[in-house]
Amino acid sequence: MLLFIPTVVVERGWRNIVLAVRSLWLHKLRALLSVLGIVIGTAAVIALMAFGEGSMQDALADIERQGATNIIVRSVKPPDESATQSRSFFAVYGLTEQDYERLHNIDTIIRDVPLRVFRQEIRYLGSMHVGRMVGTTQHYTIVHQTNPIAGRFLTADDEEFRRNHAVLGWTVAKQLFPLQNPLGETIVIGKHLYKVVGVMPERMPTGGSGGSQAAEEFNDDVYIPLSTCNSRVGARVFLRQTGSRSGEQVELHQVTLTVSNMDKVRPTADVVRDLLVRFHGPKKDWAMTVPLDRLDEAKRAKNRYKMLLVLIASISLLVGGIGIMNIMLATVTERTREIGIRRALGAKRRDITFQFLIEAVVQTGIGGILGVVLGLGIAIILPWLWQLITGSHLPAKIHEGSIGLSLGVSLVVGVLFGWYPAQRAAKLDPIEALRHV
Amino acid sequence: MTTVVRIIDLIKYYELGSVLVKALDGVSLTVHEGEFVALMGPSGSGKSTLLNLLGCLDRPTYGHYYLAGQDVAGMPDDQLSDIRSRFLGFIFQQYNLLAQYTVVENIEVPLLYQERRLTEETRQRCIELAELVGLGQRLDHRPMQLSGGQQQRVAIARALVNDPQVILADEPTGNLDTRTSEEIMQLLTRLNQAGKTIIMVTHENDIASWAKRVVRMRDGIVETDELNTPHWLRDGATVSA
Repeated sequence: MLLFIPTVVVERGWRNIVLAVRSLWLHKLRALLSVLGIVIGTAAVIALMAFGEGSMQDALADIERQGATNIIVRSVKPPDESATQSRSFFAVYGLTEQDYERLHNIDTIIRDVPLRVFRQEIRYLGSMHVGRMVGTTQHYTIVHQTNPIAGRFLTADDEEFRRNHAVLGWTVAKQLFPLQNPLGETIVIGKHLYKVVGVMPERMPTGGSGGSQAAEEFNDDVYIPLSTCNSRVGARVFLRQTGSRSGEQVELHQVTLTVSNMDKVRPTADVVRDLLVRFHGPKKDWAMTVPLDRLDEAKRAKNRYKMLLVLIASISLLVGGIGIMNIMLATVTERTREIGIRRALGAKRRDITFQFLIEAVVQTGIGGILGVVLGLGIAIILPWLWQLITGSHLPAKIHEGSIGLSLGVSLVVGVLFGWYPAQRAAKLDPIEALRHV
Repeated sequence: MTTVVRIIDLIKYYELGSVLVKALDGVSLTVHEGEFVALMGPSGSGKSTLLNLLGCLDRPTYGHYYLAGQDVAGMPDDQLSDIRSRFLGFIFQQYNLLAQYTVVENIEVPLLYQERRLTEETRQRCIELAELVGLGQRLDHRPMQLSGGQQQRVAIARALVNDPQVILADEPTGNLDTRTSEEIMQLLTRLNQAGKTIIMVTHENDIASWAKRVVRMRDGIVETDELNTPHWLRDGATVSA
């Protein structure tokens, strides 16, 4: 008996599902139109989830490129410098060698890469490319998680012996050596000759995050040893611009610090800030970027996006649900006679409720499935079209959880909004219902 | 003879606005197993109300209704549904088949609402009933594909599937032409001869003449209740099997 009753229930459930499909089939177009709200709602959730997830992953990858355990300190030209020190010919600001030594001695920092960056003309024979000359050390590749695709990067020896070696960024190499292997060739940066020892791969530029962190394009770089850079360029640099001349003295443009592990990033950042505040005083000629903060920012953005998505989904499913309720009420009115017949032949009120509830759920379920298919289609086709038309990348990553979730929600919507029409059907008086034309 | 239906002093009052309508004003009736009763009367006489009460679709204001020994007059809705699915067979003027179902599935409907499983056996019974009413070749047809007479035959098969105590027919030939009406009445007569109890509402004397007993109603009470010799017995003819 215990086994017998569930079988009856299961059988009845299945029979009602079949009945629902057949009843809906009698009004195919109407059924389809009435679940449109559910379809669009579900599709929107699936597609938006995919795009949200995709851009989140892109943002994470971007942060990853900057290094989640890194702290980036850079020199910034203070905005009031020219006004207050107008007598001074040179603008003196930014990080100094002394700062570098102090930072170097912080325990939790396992690696540091100082940078000097200058805009320079880079020449090879008749070709010229304006790029950045970057003076740095051998750890650059580790901290920035990149490796040369040809030749090698700068070494400790290069640094120690102030060699005139250069490693080209991807664009520079392509511009100057479109047809030949740049390795071993001699290029001219500014007025000096350098031997090309390596070529870097094409790198994604980092996105700017406003404030101190500008977007960076690495493919225009040429890397030379920092010691060579210092001896070639010296501390003071003249800038000639139309109508004026100015000079500036910046000892280091940027120092990238790598912290031993993620937990120590924030405390270390605090120490670095304290140090710089102590020695630079009120002069805001430096800025610090902690990629890890951007990670949190990205997570917060993701949460906001999710909230928005839930709101959109709720509204569209509410609208979809009302659509279902509307059509189910119409169906109940239209099928009053059928309800009367079934009641006369022995259907209890709960049988009628069950029948129409199942019909509503089948309808929203089909709507949910169509929506998932449509949403997946959008999430797959739109990035492809985007790539085709604009040539840029539209990140999309299909979120498996969102499929199950939106299907589940569609079914729940069916139950919630099917309930009232089903109740109305069940409460009809069988005699009245039978008389209904 | 077993008593199938016994109603005692059945009263049904409606309130129509502020007017009290006395649809049934004390009706008593006993129907034994194997009877074929025609319920006649002009419109407003209360015959439809009586049929609804007999069919457990409605509850009387006062009075008792014993169906197969149980007093069903005061039963709650769910129990009445159960009584309908187990003890009663309905035949309507409009046939009232379900458009989504095939012939066999339509015959099956009363079994859907019994607390039992549908098996190969019950399916076989439905097919046999379809054959009995002469629709063995149309098992998978939908109601829309059948003529009125054929639809009514399906309805009759459906009324038989739960082996009811009594078959209630509400103007079963009301929508049919004379020849088809004749066929349907022959079918009902055959079922009656096989032992089925039938109560049939009609306002046509021709149709009523097939019954063995005619109850005439007027203004909510039974006017006459007399035995009738079915016309085919009078004519000395037999119902062809």
